Amino acid sequence: MGARNRREPCRRCALPLSRSRFLQGSQDNVIQAFAFYLFATIVIASGALTIVSRNPVHSVLWLILAFFNAAGLMLLIGAEFIAMLLVIVYVGAVAVLFLFVVMMLDIDFAELRAGFTRYLPFGLLIAVVLLCEMIFAVGVWNFADIGPDTRMGTIDPDMPNIEAIGRALYDRYLLVFEGAGIVLLVAMVGAIVLTHRERGGVRPQNISKQIKRRPEDATRNTQPEVGKGVEL
Amino acid sequence: MTEFFQSLGMSFEWAWGVATIAGILLIALPLMLAVAMIIYADRKIWAAIALRKGPNVVGPFGLLQSFADGLKVFLQETIIPSAANRGLFLIAPIITFTVALIAWAVIPFGEDMVLANINVGLLYVLAASSLGVYGIVIAGWASNSKYPFYSALRGAAQMVSYEVSIGFVLLSVVMFAGSFNMQTIITAQQGHVFGFINGFAFNPLLFPMAVVFFISALAETARAPFDLTEAESELVAGYQTEYSSMSFALYWLGEYANVILMCALNAVLFWGGWLPPVDWAPLYVVPGIFWLFLKILIFFFIFSWVKATVPRYRYDQLMRLGWKVFLPLSLFWVVLVSGYLMLTRYGGVL
Amino acid sequence: MPETIAVDLAEYLPILLFLGIALLLSTAFVILPMIVARFTGASKPYANKLTEYECGFPAFEDSRGQFDVRFYLVAILFIIFDLEVAFLFPWAVTVFDMGWVAWGAMMVFLAELAIGLAYAWKVGALEWE
Repeated sequence: MGARNRREPCRRCALPLSRSRFLQGSQDNVIQAFAFYLFATIVIASGALTIVSRNPVHSVLWLILAFFNAAGLMLLIGAEFIAMLLVIVYVGAVAVLFLFVVMMLDIDFAELRAGFTRYLPFGLLIAVVLLCEMIFAVGVWNFADIGPDTRMGTIDPDMPNIEAIGRALYDRYLLVFEGAGIVLLVAMVGAIVLTHRERGGVRPQNISKQIKRRPEDATRNTQPEVGKGVEL
Repeated sequence: MTEFFQSLGMSFEWAWGVATIAGILLIALPLMLAVAMIIYADRKIWAAIALRKGPNVVGPFGLLQSFADGLKVFLQETIIPSAANRGLFLIAPIITFTVALIAWAVIPFGEDMVLANINVGLLYVLAASSLGVYGIVIAGWASNSKYPFYSALRGAAQMVSYEVSIGFVLLSVVMFAGSFNMQTIITAQQGHVFGFINGFAFNPLLFPMAVVFFISALAETARAPFDLTEAESELVAGYQTEYSSMSFALYWLGEYANVILMCALNAVLFWGGWLPPVDWAPLYVVPGIFWLFLKILIFFFIFSWVKATVPRYRYDQLMRLGWKVFLPLSLFWVVLVSGYLMLTRYGGVL
Repeated sequence: MPETIAVDLAEYLPILLFLGIALLLSTAFVILPMIVARFTGASKPYANKLTEYECGFPAFEDSRGQFDVRFYLVAILFIIFDLEVAFLFPWAVTVFDMGWVAWGAMMVFLAELAIGLAYAWKVGALEWE
């Protein structure tokens, strides 16, 4: 289960494979730092452009860019599964939904943005609350002088990210996982209840009935005499 | 290859960089050449099935037909409709083609021949095909015209419906292989059936999933019989109606690159990838890349054969197939395969 | 920190380079014909050519037609099942080391979503797509 053949040295390969040498030396940290600042800057800029854009479709596209760079950030800390999942689920599913809605609804953005100053104090309040929560979440660790090793569980450096998540999720967090399933079920049922409308008077195709039809029921061989017709 | 460039006197980083870019070009350029040739092959195969001749004028046996078409398209005028959103209009085909290209970074061509041997290779391919939806949706919307818009929505809904069943099929394969790494999946197929046949599809528990994957790949790439987004009699050219010149050609290049990608994926996941069909020592003398190309060609022939043979699906029939047939089937199969593997690998009941 | 990462980050660099080169190639493919067309005189835009195509007639109505809620429903169902597949990914590689409890828990999860699918089917949300 989970054979890991990432670091095989290559002798006569056409494409470079063994790159563990790359993790030595200061060059690699420079690349990582550069990548981090690049991704982080683009995430923040895209996020800002999302709310500032006048065109709602442009907003969604900036959001997609933000998701991509967030996935890049995930890669930098080694959470490759989360990174791929961000792209598959967020960019591939959620943003598509956003795009569908925004494209079809023809939102009058100017009207929406007119209420900006009215809601500004409330928005600022929520932003401050979020900021405090984030400061508390991190500051508590720092205040109690808890080192990074005790903050998170021990990471097995040889285990791929997917396996590590799997072992945690289906072992310790089993009930939370089941709860997530219930949330998904409620979301599905809710979406259907809200959007489904009965369309009367439609005759859908009954595929099984069509397939069950036998030639004997559909056709009939006759031998009409010359000059005589066939009774249908 | 890094060592080769290093031997020329470059430092390790430079040698690695040049080697990687050489590797990338070694994938991208032959891929584009392959797409051109495979369009020609497609037309020749349809012609043969229809008892026609196909392209045979340009070049010997008509081999240069695709290049002539490409040249014609290159010299055309790029018409951007006045009401269209210029930036998005031009970005959409770029997205389609780019996404079709980058998915090839994780396909293994041989034992040590893969550009990026990442642990989540299969997820990366799934992510890349999820992104293909955007090329279509943005094209339809940016064209600012009714027919392309509706066609794009239907095309996107079609792609998205079959991605779910592809995801479940991939799960069955991953459960047998034990990893998402493409190389691991291939090496896990060595001698899988009876000890000497290489390939998951020969496993009776996985063969139905191979069939489901093949049909879902047909629907995902919008190939016949699921190509109603291109059905000329209904929607003109669908979301490509307003496109001309190279932006139009990029859609075709992207679609065929996706088709070849799906054939390659089929080969890698179910039929042994770069492994020879049977685990017989003399067959390994032939380089793996040859076996992979052979399998890709066989599957492309079947893709082409299907298009020339079967009639087109109507849209509601297509959606019915995706949601009511393939989704429950592949879901049930995941339960079946996992139960079987629990009994055989983990052993016993509790 | 690099010591505790279980992923070989250098493997992802070729992907980034590939992305850059692919974008470059695609953009070149789109921009070059436009430049060439200006030189060869093929670029002659005029009003009739630039209106959108509706079988030769001027457009009947606004291109943003009616909102069809079925596409929205398909997108939501896709999100739900995509998330289900996402939960299945780590399970598929670890369940064979973790025992029947993990397997059973996932079966319960799949049953929940199968109920959702059955409901959607019964109510007719999957019809006339």
